[in-house]
Amino acid sequence: MKILIIEDDEDGAAFLASGIAERGHEADVARNGRDGLVMATGAQRYDVVIVDRLLPELDGLSLVKAMRAAGSATPALFLTSLSGIDARVEGLEAGGDDYLVKPFAFTELMARVTALARRPTLGAEPTVLVVGDLEMDLIRRTVKRGGQPIDLQPREFQLLEFLMRSEGRVATRSMLLEKVWSFHFDPQTNIVETHISRLRAKVDRGQATPLIHTLRGAGYTLRASN
Amino acid sequence: MPQTRLFRTSSFRLAAIYLALFTVSVLILGAVVYAVVHTQIAAEIDQDVEGESATLLKEYAAHGRDRLQGLIATRGGSFAYGLVDSSGKLIAGEVAAPTAAAGWTYLREPESDEPDGESTVDVRALVTRLDDGGALVVADEWRGARGPIHALLSAFAWALAATLVLGAIGGLLLSSQALRRIEAMRSAAQGIVAGDWRRRIPETGADDELDHLARTFNLMFDRIESLLEAHKAVGAAIAHDLRRPLTRMAQRLETQLGREASRPETAAALEAAIADIHAVLATFNAILRIGQIESGARRAGFRGVDLAVVARDIVEAFQPAAEEEGKSLIAELDAALPLSGDRELLTQMVANVVDNALRHTPSGTQIVVASARRGVGGRLTVSDNGPGAPEAERQRIFERFYRLDAARSTPGDGLGLSVVAAIAELHGMAYVAEDNAPGLRIVFDLRN
Repeated sequence: MKILIIEDDEDGAAFLASGIAERGHEADVARNGRDGLVMATGAQRYDVVIVDRLLPELDGLSLVKAMRAAGSATPALFLTSLSGIDARVEGLEAGGDDYLVKPFAFTELMARVTALARRPTLGAEPTVLVVGDLEMDLIRRTVKRGGQPIDLQPREFQLLEFLMRSEGRVATRSMLLEKVWSFHFDPQTNIVETHISRLRAKVDRGQATPLIHTLRGAGYTLRASN
Repeated sequence: MPQTRLFRTSSFRLAAIYLALFTVSVLILGAVVYAVVHTQIAAEIDQDVEGESATLLKEYAAHGRDRLQGLIATRGGSFAYGLVDSSGKLIAGEVAAPTAAAGWTYLREPESDEPDGESTVDVRALVTRLDDGGALVVADEWRGARGPIHALLSAFAWALAATLVLGAIGGLLLSSQALRRIEAMRSAAQGIVAGDWRRRIPETGADDELDHLARTFNLMFDRIESLLEAHKAVGAAIAHDLRRPLTRMAQRLETQLGREASRPETAAALEAAIADIHAVLATFNAILRIGQIESGARRAGFRGVDLAVVARDIVEAFQPAAEEEGKSLIAELDAALPLSGDRELLTQMVANVVDNALRHTPSGTQIVVASARRGVGGRLTVSDNGPGAPEAERQRIFERFYRLDAARSTPGDGLGLSVVAAIAELHGMAYVAEDNAPGLRIVFDLRN
């Protein structure tokens, strides 16, 4: 992946760049909004742009708006130190694709960046999702594994759908809370864990190869093989 | 305003006391005037009677008894006479004097104008013993006194009645006006107690004692409000300023963690340190979030939300976790709870309450989330049959960082229910923690 970091805080930018490099990706850094906009809309194509909300010269919101106005569809992830309840909505309205409140665990950032980078391009929406011998019919709302139907609760269906759509990628706890339950806060109770274990009981129990995997300290992933 | 309260006001009591004092003084004044007038009229009558008596006695001294007898028979005027001989027999006139009597006396005589003898009249009589053993009586009707005294007494009676009526009306008016202003003070103070810090006591502009009192109270409320704001601002400022260095610290530790893959002990220590920093930052974020919610800025984005639907989603999300801990989470949410609000915040509000109930109750507890219609508004309750909270501390669970002794060992920052309180207040809901006998019940009343 090639990632553009637009962040004025030197330490923060260095932390992001080194973390990304350690995971085998490339990162460029812009230190203010104007430079960031030039780089984001320039010749170099980026997979994801990470934008701080508060930037000198041009603030993050205006930057992404300008990017979109210039026809750039590069996914943008906002970083904000405003623990703002409104910050997310504003960010999404400006054309951002995701947002993350500082401080965050690096694994969380990478999971979200990866999800954005591999987002399916706009086109024909699939009606059937397939991972290994697991099949999900999005029209009939049915799930089969090895031809055997699996009975799922609506929320379990949504959870499995999200995991199947991001096959092979990490889905963090907070990503699942946001996308499946629309919870933009972190409950103390282990909601995600218990739902995953129920889903696992229905999808993986009695199967030779489990599909749902736990990544310690990071989240969950669904994939056909190790 | 209730009748009994009106009569219990201090101004009404004061008016009643003044009224009683005034009535007593009117009565005393009446008695004094009556006595003076009575004496005066009696003296005038006595003087007339004495004069007439003296004239007649002069005639008697000069011309003897027969002359006197003739005079009495023919004399007109307002006086009545009587002449008795030594045996006490009335030989002229109509007033028979008691034989032994001499000097002034009151007599009751038949009304001379009405010969039926039925009605009588009081007379003032002067009896003079004559040297032949007889007596002369000169009397005048007391009637002359009756008119003015009667008029005087009735005038006083009317004055007294008027005093009582006007005093009572004045007292009522005075006290109801005072009560209205005190009522305004009370309701303003109650609003402030309920958390509406912007409320102030209205001033009438009369610039009287009550206005001065209202102004002093308002200054006091201004001061309390500014202290409270400063108190909140300090918390928020500390949280805000410490976030940046703590964030950097976490980032540095995390960068280092990536390089310590070969040394698991160091890596574990770094991971624990990072987790602690994140916990501190989460608490700071919660403080800042409460501040944001309390600022009321979110009201601008209010939409129609059914709180019962929000609660149902929460129950559904938390149910597996509850069952895993051996607790049952039950939804009784058939009654819709429509309100204008922020879905995201309301979701967090219900989630925090359910979270709280799950974390502070033992296995086997039953938690019920229920909705009910109440008049125009509605009610959401989250009740459990766990250990509950002591009565004295029940309402304090909504305070920042407040934790029951029993809860100190369980994880949590003591801010979950403060967030709940802030969200409920933002939505104009009344919230209270009650005894569920056994257990705790948190009640939200919607005011639609």
